[in-house]
Order: sequence, then structure tokens, then C-alpha cells
Amino acid sequence: MKSNLYNHTFFISIIAALLLCTNGIAQQIDLSNYSMRFVFKTVKQADNTRLLEVSFIGFNDNDRKDKIPVFGAEIQFLNVLNDEEILLGSSKTSKEGTAQLILPENQKYVTDEEGYINLKARFNSTDALSEEVADIMVKDLHLDLNLSEIDSVKTVTLTAFTVNSLGDKIPVSELDVIINLNTMLSKMNISEGTIIDGTYTFEMTESFAGNTKGELAISAVIEDNDEYGNIIQEKKVQWGTITKQVKANDHSLWTKAAPIWMYVVLSILLLGVYINFIYTIVNLVKIKREGDNIKTEPRKNYTVY
Amino acid sequence: MDIQSRKRELFKEFAPRLETTSLATKIYIGFLVAIILVGIYAFYLQMAKGQIVTGMRDNVVWGIYEVNFILLVCISYSGAFISGILHFFHTPWKTAIARIVEIITVLSLLIGPIYILLCMGRLDRLHYLFMYPRIQSPITWDIIAIITDIVACFIYLYLTFIPDFAILRDHCEERKIPKWVKKLYKTLAIGYQDTKTQRDRLHKITRIMSTIVIVLAIVAYTVLAWIFSLTLQPGWNSTIFAPYFIVGGLFSGVAFIIVTMFLVRKFYKLEKYIRKMHFKVGGIILLILAMLYGYFTFTEYFSRWFSHKEIDTNLLDALFTRYFWVFIFANYVGILVPIGILFFKKFRTINWVTIASVIALVGIWLNRYLIVIPTLETPYVPIQDTRIDYIFYSASWVEIALSFAGVAAFLLMFTLIGKVVPLVPMNYILDSHFTTKKVKQKVNKEISE
Amino acid sequence: MAENNKKSRRKFLNNGLKLGIVAAIGGIGLSKIASKLSAQTEEAHSGEKMELMTADGTLIEVDSSEVMEVHNVKNNEDNYDVREGIPNRKFVMVIDLAKCKNARKCVEGCQKGHNLDYHQEFMQIKLIQDNPLAEPYWFPKNCMHCDEPPCVKVCPTGATFKREDNIVLVDNERCIGCKFCVTSCPYSARIFNWEHKAKFDDKSQPYSPETNVPGATGTVTKCDFCPDLLRQGLLPHCAQSCPEGVIYFGDRNEDIVTNGAETVRFSELINKRGGYRHLEHLGTKPNVYYLPAVDKLYELEDGFEVNEEVKERYKNVPYVKELKKQGKI
Repeated sequence: MKSNLYNHTFFISIIAALLLCTNGIAQQIDLSNYSMRFVFKTVKQADNTRLLEVSFIGFNDNDRKDKIPVFGAEIQFLNVLNDEEILLGSSKTSKEGTAQLILPENQKYVTDEEGYINLKARFNSTDALSEEVADIMVKDLHLDLNLSEIDSVKTVTLTAFTVNSLGDKIPVSELDVIINLNTMLSKMNISEGTIIDGTYTFEMTESFAGNTKGELAISAVIEDNDEYGNIIQEKKVQWGTITKQVKANDHSLWTKAAPIWMYVVLSILLLGVYINFIYTIVNLVKIKREGDNIKTEPRKNYTVY
Repeated sequence: MDIQSRKRELFKEFAPRLETTSLATKIYIGFLVAIILVGIYAFYLQMAKGQIVTGMRDNVVWGIYEVNFILLVCISYSGAFISGILHFFHTPWKTAIARIVEIITVLSLLIGPIYILLCMGRLDRLHYLFMYPRIQSPITWDIIAIITDIVACFIYLYLTFIPDFAILRDHCEERKIPKWVKKLYKTLAIGYQDTKTQRDRLHKITRIMSTIVIVLAIVAYTVLAWIFSLTLQPGWNSTIFAPYFIVGGLFSGVAFIIVTMFLVRKFYKLEKYIRKMHFKVGGIILLILAMLYGYFTFTEYFSRWFSHKEIDTNLLDALFTRYFWVFIFANYVGILVPIGILFFKKFRTINWVTIASVIALVGIWLNRYLIVIPTLETPYVPIQDTRIDYIFYSASWVEIALSFAGVAAFLLMFTLIGKVVPLVPMNYILDSHFTTKKVKQKVNKEISE
Repeated sequence: MAENNKKSRRKFLNNGLKLGIVAAIGGIGLSKIASKLSAQTEEAHSGEKMELMTADGTLIEVDSSEVMEVHNVKNNEDNYDVREGIPNRKFVMVIDLAKCKNARKCVEGCQKGHNLDYHQEFMQIKLIQDNPLAEPYWFPKNCMHCDEPPCVKVCPTGATFKREDNIVLVDNERCIGCKFCVTSCPYSARIFNWEHKAKFDDKSQPYSPETNVPGATGTVTKCDFCPDLLRQGLLPHCAQSCPEGVIYFGDRNEDIVTNGAETVRFSELINKRGGYRHLEHLGTKPNVYYLPAVDKLYELEDGFEVNEEVKERYKNVPYVKELKKQGKI
């Protein structure tokens, strides 16, 4: 955790240095042409943490394609009740102009009498940019995803409820939900429906391969609900019908190792040839030795044949 | 006449060429060096600027470097093959040409692979071939084959040189030959005194090496052909490529030997040893090879034309439109004209046989060109590009300069070797005089024709 | 100004420490952004300046690679082996020819992502005519990442290799430039770096065979299926850039492919739409599948509404000659 913070400091100081050295090319822009868009949203994630995200981008009024993200702007995230403001944390906008804050599951929020959490994101004005404030009111909704086989039918059961101040579970109704199959690169919509009396049930007749362990990752998503905002719940289950692919041969023409017979044939060929080379050289040495002996002996009148 | 005095006589005959260098030879050497220097400059340019200075581009990634490589390496293999055969079967007329053939073999085997190196993008990583070898790759096989063949040819060439070095060593004292050359003779003769045991031993290992050289030549030809025929490309993916390359290689090799024989005979005044008979026999061999080679060429193109696969059709279309005249010269003139000349007995003269060989050589270079380049210009997926140099290949001056530099380097090295040792092996002449008397009589009869 | 930034930073830190766990969690959030940031900068390349506005309304230009350098920790994680690939995956691509209109966005996206020149294309768009009576169609073609890759077979040094996850890559630090792989590829997927370019010297991004950046003179390069993006759960550059959703990509083990907008079963798509592989008869077993160009969404002529140079490329296709004669393009 400490190292995280440290990294972050380092990052910021690099950016600070960068700002310093790019001062030469930094230019004041005419902001009158730009209108600032300050969008605040919240997502309750699968691990029950809550993500707060602000996107802060300036759009050119004359050319909508011309947008400049606001970089390094400090955004404060607050929990508000009446006039009381509790700072949840703050974060700076990234290169894309977004600032995020993730709040843990056990985070305590103050709620109003109807059970709404009032969240506020604020950017304090600077010389050039005016103050931006956005707020959201959400109720804390609990989603329970249950995946089980009922009479050998794969059944997805989703229960949705809120918890009142006494700790009682109160089921919710009329809530649109999407059931997704999460895969490596995307989500596949496998069912859509409405939660009634706190539950939504969906029988999965289709079968999917899943990952190599045979697991399917199934998620329930509630999107942009007026009362509850965005909520995601996800679970894994052993419903995959994957048939493991046979691992390819390790000794083929395109693998690192060649087919065994290639090694054998090549070795035999090379050995056969190089043994003959060595034999030849050995014989040459013998010829030389004989020649040397003749030289050292007193020269006789030797005959050739 | 005893053997010692005959040796002395022979030495006297060949010595003058070893002693002095004429002005004409000096100019000639200077000219060759100049061509090589231009080649070195071209090489420097290619190293400094990359292969962008060549005519090769993304579709045609192999150009005339590859063509030169095939031609030279094939000449070398056929040189090895022929000298192996000459030795192995105790051919009587080996005497005059054996050394020329052996020198051609080694020189073209030294120069040929340089062209494949020129084709490589990263010469600085050449050692990766040995650091990370993959024995599935035909290139790896080719490298093993070439290296083994170079070793074998050097050993073999050296074996045939030993008795000559001994003669030179024994007789050079009274001559004004530079000291270092004398010393060189002494070292290289490795104390060979022509005793019976030494002679027998040398004969035995020369015979073994001649067999090895023949076998290696066949293997090396085959592997070279496989570089092309193991791919999926039209015009390359052919089962007859290996024997086709062997026949084509022998054809080019024999033609090259005949041309060299002609030049050596003329400039080294060796009319006494290199005779009409040699050209006659060479002509007949060339005729047989030309017919075989023509047969293979016809089969290769005919089956592609008849079966009419789309991809082959594209290739043949290119060959018969853009490459029409090249195709005509390579595969009609280059084969049929030599056959036409050599078929008639009265044309089997020194000059005509040489002319036929020159035509054959040019033809086979063009044939190799037509194997490498048009195939790369007609890939499976149509090129559809606007950059003209990416669609069609034409050699740049750098590639041409380096090609001529290779020829010049060959001639220069040949000349320099000719300055150190006689181009006709003295020991073979002695052999034919003293060992095989019966054969000698026969040879004399043949030579005197 | 920098001092101010630092001060406020310190203040935040102090606050953070006081706030205890909340701030710490905030830190996690930020580090998550940071990793996201590094992910995105891998797409953008050095030398490329991006415009940003600071909180006090100043416009700054930041070289994206400078920001990335600090955060490039992603590649070092858990003994990932570039030659083994992403575990338990078998990547496939499906290209829906019926939807392609030669917008060339895939080509451009790929070139931007791999820092290629205008004329260097990993993804090429060919105009293919199956038979003389059929209307031609646009045919995006990249590397097929074959299961029997002819290029890998012939490589003498193992510079090009096939991974467990189906991807065929080139390691340009191992490549000796013999170009044998270029001549043995029947899909003409490989290109060669013929000369030195200034961008090769830019080492701000560490080289990986997965990105092919920076390139190297005298070596071979080609489409890599963007494993760097895949590891972050993102689609390859070409699939991301296609405005028509022509290019589907996914894992064959999961049997799911997606074009970003739509997620479908791979086997169903291939079976129902008659998916095929290019040059199947060669036995290279490609991993790029094509859906035939039936019921095309766009007129062929629409594809010529790109620039003149691109138009010129197809001038030798007989059908195009005919169209020109009729004055349709």
C-alpha cells in the first residue's frame, strides 16, 4: 500500500517536472470557445466496492470533435447530507480527463431519510476554470447472484434488495437487469428482463464452452437506474462444456524441437562424412611422419618401386 | 628415361610461368583488382544504407544475388562431382584437366556463398545460425552442406597437390623463385618423398575423398534445390527440382570447365596437354547433359502448363509475356543451340565446343533468373501495389557491380593460383607415363588423333 | 507552479494519511488509473504529442512516451514468456467480407499502433474476384497465424515462432534477415525493413516481439495479433478501428468472438455463415476465417472513395478496368 502511494508521488513529481520544463511551449488558450463537460457517475462493482468516476473534458463549441481533456485537476468526492459534507477522498484527472475513486465495501455513508446516499464531486475553481459540481443520489442496492442446477436445468437466480436502517432486507421491484456472459475480450448478453418482487430467474438452455477450467463467468448488470445507479454482480460456475484441445506435437517442423528422425539422420550423415575426414587427416600425418623419418636418416639410395 | 629426370624435365617446362610475371598479366591483374574495388565500394554502400540500394523489395526479396549463388555453387558441385568421377574411375584423360576442375570447384565454392551472405539483412548476426540452430530449416541444411563440402573439397584438392608440391620442393632450389614460395612448397609437401608406402597411402585416401566428394556434391545439390521446392510457391514447389538442379548444375559445370579449358589452353600455352580430344569428350558430355537438362526443363514447364492450376498459369503468363525473350533465350536457345552444334561431329572442334558452352552458360544463368524472380512476382495473393519497384524486380547497379566483382575475384584467384603451381598436375603426367603402361599406350593413341 | 503542485500534493498526502484507510483505497484507485494510463499510451507512440489542458487553463503538450516510461511495469509481471504466449488461449479472427467497404480504418489503426510507415501494411486490403462472372469484393488480409506455419518451418534461427495461443511472432532481435520466411509465406504477410529509419533508434519503449516496436533494419516484421492489447482485455488495433465491425476476434477455447459491438459464438458464426479459410487447400491451417461476401452491405464502388493513390492500386484488376471504362469510378 505504501509503495502504491510512493509510486503515485513519483508520478506526480514527474508530471510536475514536466509542467515546469514544458512551460516554454505551454500556451494560454482561449477558453471562451470551449464548454466544459463535467460528468459524474458511480458504479457498485462485483466485489461490492463502489467506484466514483468523473470525466472532465473541454469541448470546442464550433467543432465537437475538438476536445481537450483536463489533466491533473483535483476532484473532491464528498458524501453530503443537508449542509454537512464528508470528504470521501480526492483524485486527479488523468490524461483522458477522468478521475476515479474506489470506496471499500465496508465504507459507511450517511443517508437521508429515504435511504439515498448523496454523492458529490467537486472541482474548485482556478483562475481559468470555474468551479464544477455534480451530484448523484443513489440507494445502496444489494444484488445476490445464485447459480445452480435445478432439476438439471442451469438456473440463474438474481435477488435484489435494499437494507433499511433496522437491518431488514426489503425486496425491490420493476428493475431492468441484463445477464451477461463475461469472456476474455467482451461480454455476451444472454438474457434481459425485469426484477419483480426482488427476484429474477433465468433458465440457461444454451451451453457455452467457458474457460479452460470449464468455468463460466456470469454477471448481472443494472445500468443507469434513477434510483440505484449502476450495479454489477459477477460469479463463476462450473457450467462450461469445453473440450480440451489436444496439445500439438512437440516435435514437428514448426516447433522448437525437430522430429526425432531428423536428428538421427543428420547425425548419421555428418558422422559418416566427418569420420572420413579425420581418417584422411590421420593418414596425412602418417605420411608426414614417414617423410620426416627419411629426412633424419642418412640419405640412402632408395628405390621407388 | 627414369622418373627423376622426367620430373626435372617437367619442372623445367612449367617453371618459367612461376618465375616471371609479364606486363600484360600485371595489367590484367590490375584491371581485375579495379573491378573488385568497385564491388567493395558497392558492398560498403549496401552495408551503410541497407538493402534499399539493391533492386530487391517486399515482393521480390531475392534477386540476382540468389541467381549468382545458385549458379556458382552448382558449378562448384559439378566440379567436385566431375573431378571425383575422373579420379575414381582412373579416367585416362583426367591428366590435363583434373587440376583446372579442382581449382574451379574450390574457387566457386568460396565465392558462391558470399552471394547468399549479401542477400542477408543482418550480416552482424551471422553467428546466430550456430547459436540458435533449427535443424528443420533447409537453410540450416544448406549451411551444413556447404561447410562440409568446402572442407571436403579443400582436403581433396590438397591431396592431389601433394606430389606436385614435392616435385616443386625438390627442384626449385636452383631457380629464382621467391623465398617464401620455396618455403611454402616445403611446408605443403609435408615431407612427401614418393616412397611406396607414402604413395599407396596417398592413393588410398585420395580415392576415399573422391567418393566423399561425389556423394557430398549430390547431397549439396539436393539441399540447394530444396530451398525452393519445399516452399508452396508456384514454379518452386516441384518434386523433380532436386534431380533437375543436379542435371542443370552438371550442365553449367561442364560448360564452365570447357570455357576455362579454352582460356587456360590459350593463355598458358598448354596445347600440348589440353588437346582437341578433351574438347571432343567434353562436347559429347555437354551434349548428353544438354539433352537431359532440356528434357527436365520441358517436363517441368509442360506439366505446369498442362495441369493449368491458376497460380501456375499466372506464372506462365508472366514468363510468356514480360519475360518472353528471356524465356526464349534461356530455355530454347540456351539448350537447343548447344545441342544443335554438338550433335554434328564436324562441329566438335575446340572453337565450336567453346561457343556452345558459352551459350549454355548464359542460358542457364537466365534459367536460374527465371526460376527465382518471376515466381516472387506472381504470389498467391495478387500484389496490387502502386510502387513499380515493388511489383517488378530489376537489379540495381550495386547488385550488378557485386556480380562482376565475383567474376573478377574468381579470375584473379585463378591467376594467382596459376602463379604458384602448374595448372597441369605433374604427378598425373608421371602416373600416366610410368604406372599404367597399358593405358598409356591407349592414351597416346587417343591423344595423337 | 510546479511548487504549488507539489504542495497540494503533499497536502493531499497528509489528508490522506489522516483519513487513513479511505485515502489508501484512493491510492489503489489511482494506481489502477495509472495502469490504465500505461495501457493506453502503448497505443500512442513516442514523438507523438498529445494536447492536454491543465487545471489552470494552460494547454500543454506531453510526449506520451514520457508518461509511459514511469509506469511501464506491466510487462515484468509474473514470469510471462513471450514464446509461450497467453496461457489457455487459442486466438482466432473472423473477417466478415459482406460488411467491408474498404474504409481502410483497420490499415490506419494498425499502422498507428505499430508505428509503421504509410506504405508498410500488416493489414492489406485486396480486391479479389473469385471468378470472371462474380463481382469482386474487398478482402482485408493480415497474417493468418497458421497452425502449420510455412514461415516458422523454414526459419534457420527460430526468430519467428508459433506460440501456444496460436499467435506467430517475429523476434527482430534474433532475425538474421535471410528472408526465407518471406518467400515461403503463401499469403505475402511479411514485410522487410529495407533501410534504417530514425524511429528504429527510439528506445523509449522497450522492444517486445509482441508489439514489433521499435523496428530494426534488415529484419522481417508482420501482423502480430496485438498480444499486448489482448493481455489487457482489449481487441487488436484493426478490430478496434473498424467502423463497420468487420473484424471479429476471440478465443477459440471460449468459442466466443467479438467485434467490439457484438459478441457471438465462433462456431455458430462459422457454421451458419459458411465461414472459410483462405487457400485452405495449401494445408497451412490458418486461424483467420472469412465469412463470404454475400448480401454485401455496400456497393463495390463505395470502396473507391478513398484517396487517388489507393484507387490507383487496383487499376490492373480487369473488373476495375471495366468500371473505369463505364465511368462508374
